[in-house]
Amino acid sequence: MKTTDNASASLAEQSNDEYSVRITGFWSGRSELIVPALVFILAGFLTYGTATMKVMGTSVPGPQFFPTIVCVLLFLMAIIHTIQILRTRRFPHEDSEGQNADFSTDLLSDLADTENEAIYVPTARPSVTGKRKAYSDWKTLGMVAGAVAAFILALPVLGWILSAAGLFWVVCRALGSKRPLFDLSVAILFSSAIQLAFNAGLGLNLPSGFLEGLI
Amino acid sequence: MESLSLLMEGFSQALTPMNLLWVVIGAVLGTAVGVLPGLGSAMAVALLLPITFSLEPTAAFIMFAGVYFGGLFGDSTSGILLNTPGNSSAIASTFEGHRMALDGRAAKALATAAMGAFIGGLIATTVVVFFAPVLVKMATAFGPAEYFALAVFAFLAISSVVSDSVVKGLMSLGLGLVLALVGVDGPSGTARYTLGMPELFDGMSIVVITVGLLALGEVLHIASRIHRDETAVRVESKGRPRLDLSDIRRAMPAWLRGTAFGVPFGVIPAGGSEVPTFMAYGLEKKLAARNGDTDFGTTGSIRGVAAPEAAANATAGTAMGALLALGLPTSATAAIMLAAFQQYGMQPGPLLFERSGPMVWTLLASLFIGLVILLVLNMQFAVLWAKLLLIPRHYLYAGITVLSVLGVYAISSSIVDLWILLGVGLLGFMMRRYKFPLAPVLIAVILGPLAETELRRALTVSQGDLSILIDSPVTIVLYGLLAITLVITGIQHLRHSKTARSQALKFDTDKLGV
Repeated sequence: MKTTDNASASLAEQSNDEYSVRITGFWSGRSELIVPALVFILAGFLTYGTATMKVMGTSVPGPQFFPTIVCVLLFLMAIIHTIQILRTRRFPHEDSEGQNADFSTDLLSDLADTENEAIYVPTARPSVTGKRKAYSDWKTLGMVAGAVAAFILALPVLGWILSAAGLFWVVCRALGSKRPLFDLSVAILFSSAIQLAFNAGLGLNLPSGFLEGLI
Repeated sequence: MESLSLLMEGFSQALTPMNLLWVVIGAVLGTAVGVLPGLGSAMAVALLLPITFSLEPTAAFIMFAGVYFGGLFGDSTSGILLNTPGNSSAIASTFEGHRMALDGRAAKALATAAMGAFIGGLIATTVVVFFAPVLVKMATAFGPAEYFALAVFAFLAISSVVSDSVVKGLMSLGLGLVLALVGVDGPSGTARYTLGMPELFDGMSIVVITVGLLALGEVLHIASRIHRDETAVRVESKGRPRLDLSDIRRAMPAWLRGTAFGVPFGVIPAGGSEVPTFMAYGLEKKLAARNGDTDFGTTGSIRGVAAPEAAANATAGTAMGALLALGLPTSATAAIMLAAFQQYGMQPGPLLFERSGPMVWTLLASLFIGLVILLVLNMQFAVLWAKLLLIPRHYLYAGITVLSVLGVYAISSSIVDLWILLGVGLLGFMMRRYKFPLAPVLIAVILGPLAETELRRALTVSQGDLSILIDSPVTIVLYGLLAITLVITGIQHLRHSKTARSQALKFDTDKLGV
C-alpha cells in the first residue's frame, strides 16, 4: 500500500475540508476496533459471570435474567460496530473536535433548518505541512493518567497535602505550564487549603501520612 | 390553590439567611462551570455531592438548584464571546450570539441571553408548581409495567433517537447497565460480578462513575488535545449589558416562543435542552426569512439569541418537575440530581411529595429565588464572568483533577474507589476519542437498577407472562410513541448516512489510489 503524503497535502490545499490523512496499512482509520474488542471482552466476562453465578433465593425471574439481556445487547452491538468500522475507515476530524456525541448533528441541523452550516465552527486550522502527528497526544495523556495512579499509590504513605500537591503540579506541567516553582507554591497552597477546610470545616478526615502528628 | 399556600410555606423556609447563602453559592458555582467550556452542571453536582454530605439535605438541594439553573445561564457567555459554547445547550444561541458580538453588540447579546434564561426558567417553574400535583396523582396509578416502560423509553430515546449513532448509543447504554449490575442483587441477595471483592458488594458509587466520566474523562481528553488544538479568539465585551425598551419589544415574542418549545420538552426524555433549543432557533430563522429580517445570519439577530436561551431554561424547569413528580430523569443533569436524592435516601416520585413535602416545596421556592439571583449575577457581572476564561487552562484542569480525587475519596475513604475512578476516567477518554455519547451511560447507571427491579416485579406478578408489559393504556401509548420516533429516526439516519457513506467511500478509494 503506498503512502499518499503528497496527494493528501495537495488535497488539503485544494479543499479546506480535508486534512492530511495517511493510509499506511490495515489499522489506519481502524484504531476504533479497540472499542468493540474491549466490549467483547466485557461481554465475555459478563457471560462467564452470569453462567457461574451462585444464585441465592428462588425468585423467578432471578438475578441472571436482566444480565442476560444486557449480554445479548452488548454482543450484538459489538458485532455491528466491528462490521461498520471494517467497511468504512474513520478518521478523527479536527472540525468535529468538541462536538458532543450525545446529540446527532444531523438531527439538530434538520430541526434548526441549518442544512450544512457547520454546527461547530472550527476556530483555527491545524497545519497540514510536515509530518502529521498522532491525533491524540499520548505523552501528555500518559503523564496525567500516570499522575493520578501515582497519587493513589502515594496517598496512604505521603498523606493528602504532599500527594495532592504532587498531582496538581504534574498535571500543570503536562498541560504546558512554564513556571514550575510558582506552580509548586500554588499546588501546596491548594492542597493545604483543602486539608484545612475538610478537617476543620466539614469534619472529614483526610490522611496526613507520615506527617501525622507534625501538623 | 393548595399549591400556592404550600409554595408560600416553601418560600418562608427558603428565605432564611443560611438558605439564601446556599442559593447564592450554588448560583455562583453553576454560572462558573457553565461559562467554562467542557464543564457542566452535572459534573459540578457530582463533585459537590460527597462534600455536601455533612449538610442538611434541604440546604444541599437548595445549592444544587442554583447549580442546576446556573449552568444554563453561564454557558451562553462563552458561546457569545468565544464562539465555543460552554455546553451543548448553548450551541443554538451561539450562532446569532457570536454574530452580535462580532458586530460590537456583545453586551446586548449577553443581556438578551440572561433575560431569556430567566423568563424561560420562571414560566417553566410556575408550570411545575401547578402541574406537579397533577403529575403526582397520575403517577400514583403507575405499576411496575408502567415504570419499566418509562425507563425503556428514556433508555432508547437518549441512546438512539437523539444521539449521533444508534450503534454507539446502544453500546454506551450497555456499558452503563453493566456498571449498574455490579454488586449484590437486592431482591435475591446474590453477589454479581464483584470478583469476590467486598468493596464491590454495595455496587459502584454513582458519584465515582459520574466524576470519572465527566470530570476526569474530560481532563484526560483535554490532555490528549491541549498541545494540538489552538485556542479560540476572544471578542472583548464593552459596556454593561443593558436592554432598552425597543430591544425588549423585539425579543419578547422570541422569549415566549422559546419557552413554549422548552416547557413540553422537559418531561420528554430527549436528553435535555439541545433539541428544543434547535427547534426554537429554527423557528426564529424561518420567521426572520418570512419577515425580511436582514439581521439574521449577518450581523446577528437578538431573537436568534432570545428564543434558544428561553427554551433551554424552560426545559430545565419542567425537567425538574418530571424528576420530582415521576422520578424520571429526562437529561444527564437531571439524572445526577436523581442520584443526589438517592444519596440522601430519598426516591423522587409520587411518594416524595408525601414523605418530604416541606423539602420539595422549599426546593421549588428556591428555584424561583435562584433564578432572580442568577439574573442579577449574569446581567450585572456578565463581563466579569467572561474573565474566568482567562484562568490558564493548566491550573483549571489540575484543580479539577485534584477535586475529582478529593470528591471520590471523601465518599468512603476507599482506595479501591480511586482506582475505579481512574478506570472510568480512561473509559470516558476513550468514549470521547471515538465519539461515543456519554449521556446514555449516566441514564443507564441511574435508571438501570429501577428498570431491572420493575421488570422482575412485573414478571413475578404475571408468572412470566410477557404480555403484562403492554397490558395497560399507559404502556401502549409509551411503546407506540417510542416505535413511531424510532422509525422516523431510522429513516433520517439512513438518509444522512447514505450521503455520508458515498462521500467517505469516494474519499477512501481516492486515498488508496484505486
